[in-house]
Amino acid sequence: MLLSDRVTGTVLVVLGGLAAWSGSRLPAVPGQDVGPAAFPMLIGFGLVICGVLIAFGIGHSFEVPEEEEAPAGRSSFYGLRILVPPALLLFYVLAAEPLGFLPTAAIIVLVGALVLGARLILALPIALIAPVLVHLAFYKLLRVPLPAGILPAPW
Amino acid sequence: MNDLLEAVRLVAAPDVMIAIVASAIYGLVVGSLPGLSATMATALLVPVTFWLSPIAAIATIITASAMAIFSGDIPGCLLRIPGTPASAAYTDEAYAMTRKGQAETALGAGLWFSAIGGIVGTLSLVLMAPLLAEMALSFSTFEYFWLAFLGLMCATLVARSSPIKAIASMLLGLLVSCIGMENPAGTPRFTFGLTDLLGGIEPIPALVGVFAVSEVMRAMVTPEPPKLPDRKFGSILAGQWKLTKKYQWPMWRGNFIGVIIGVLPGAGADMAAWVSYAMSKKFSKEPEKFGTGHPEGLVEAGASNNASLASGWVPSLLFGIPGDTITAIAIGVLYMKGLNPGPTLFTERASSMYALYLIFILANIIMIPLGILMIRLASQVLRAPRAGIMPVILLLCAVGAYATGNNLFSVLMVGAFGILGFVMDRNGYPVAALVLGIVMGTMVEQNFITSLIKSDGDVLPFFERPVSAVLATMTIGALLWPLGVWIWNRTGGRRLPAQGAAE
Repeated sequence: MLLSDRVTGTVLVVLGGLAAWSGSRLPAVPGQDVGPAAFPMLIGFGLVICGVLIAFGIGHSFEVPEEEEAPAGRSSFYGLRILVPPALLLFYVLAAEPLGFLPTAAIIVLVGALVLGARLILALPIALIAPVLVHLAFYKLLRVPLPAGILPAPW
Repeated sequence: MNDLLEAVRLVAAPDVMIAIVASAIYGLVVGSLPGLSATMATALLVPVTFWLSPIAAIATIITASAMAIFSGDIPGCLLRIPGTPASAAYTDEAYAMTRKGQAETALGAGLWFSAIGGIVGTLSLVLMAPLLAEMALSFSTFEYFWLAFLGLMCATLVARSSPIKAIASMLLGLLVSCIGMENPAGTPRFTFGLTDLLGGIEPIPALVGVFAVSEVMRAMVTPEPPKLPDRKFGSILAGQWKLTKKYQWPMWRGNFIGVIIGVLPGAGADMAAWVSYAMSKKFSKEPEKFGTGHPEGLVEAGASNNASLASGWVPSLLFGIPGDTITAIAIGVLYMKGLNPGPTLFTERASSMYALYLIFILANIIMIPLGILMIRLASQVLRAPRAGIMPVILLLCAVGAYATGNNLFSVLMVGAFGILGFVMDRNGYPVAALVLGIVMGTMVEQNFITSLIKSDGDVLPFFERPVSAVLATMTIGALLWPLGVWIWNRTGGRRLPAQGAAE
């Protein structure tokens, strides 16, 4: 996800413009000069200025380039693996209530470990043990109401 | 005196003692794993603190962060991969020493001078906090506005990155903090009709997303770090006393710079380490030896980053303005436990404050034996497969975020901030500035709008009171500093390191 400064700068300009515009439409507090609109507008203008400067490459000389770390010779799908963690979190949001904590957590850990290149002999035990430990710690000790779902914990 | 005895009693309670030892081990292990930073270690501790007594909760945060900052030196020294960003400044130097066969001295220096730095930082906290508390009682919204703004500006002076991108990150954080109805007028802003956004974005899910989830995402596309060969270490602390005597001045300078940077709101341990390493090289009698495995910079920067950790609590405790991302988390915990930051904390809850000092000192003392143990076990701990750890971290992110508010929306937020943090970091936008913007946004706006209403829209009163004039000058100085460095470089002066920015 390496984007050029032009792209990120433009995104910031658009975002800042939107923030300032929608900020200016907020209703004012009757009888006050400064209301809820002032701060978002200020930030919006600031973002627009920063975005323009970044798009023109000002301040670039301060940056220390990061070593390119993507290993060569992988298919273009390799980079899509970064989307696995957010997707697993989304899965948690959707599945925790109907499935229950233990199965959901086991699936998350198993998929995560396999994508990271673990063999089944490692991934399976971790996927079985970690959810139980986390459930014990958070449900029993910290009293977090984790959903029971189809597989309620025996404790 | 009574307060001190009460504090000893508070700290000696069994639950506090267990909390200190357990969080010390946790901090050492997490800090030593590459990619898992001290901030992340602390953020994942927050749900645990819900359940602890106030003193034990603070003890876990203090101990875990101090240990993690030290133990970040271990993989830096042995594998040339900094365990935490605060160790990055001197990783090359420490690794060069390891290659020269002086791994014990390098690790020992990290441990010994970290502990000294931590204790000096604590003493500065003990001395400075009550003095500043007197002053803070007379602060009005103008001073608070400038202090918070100064904190935000200092957060943008991040080493090795474009100051404009840092400011943009900070503004993005402020924009995120606008979401919801937590503003002086109570108007819902940027909620897009979602009731979940009415309460605003909580800092903890944002922090966990930016620091932990984005790290798991990075692990997905980076090769696994090399395994550490099994090795026997000689005596870790041998020769450290000699180093202490030989490099007395650099050590004190490191402590001093660390304390100053820590006290500045917004600038933390990473900054302290970079500045101190640069200073050490500049003032050394043998600057040509730097980078070839010379302990001098290690001494100075190692002391500096731990000193800044303790003094970073000064602005947090007095004004509720975080000194760095770790204390940003700590402030949330303080509020939750009824120890609301502010100058009155030192008069009304004096025993709790003494307890906090004692925990700091205790943590830095037990760091030495536990640290030696950790160094000896390092090759075992670092052998833990990343493919096994990262998914569990992800699970902890989900459960931890859920636990802070008991709603699934925060889990979604963690994922969203994970993506944001990853993309920003990849493109050179410092994420710490984003986080501090989110944490401090409400406070900046509150004091800004209140001040503007008090002054009838006039800007002049922002500069009229003496303290606010000084703070305003510092803030504007921080804003213009990169410009100064740039002009200096352009006009043919010697090339100044960009990381000298926070001096």
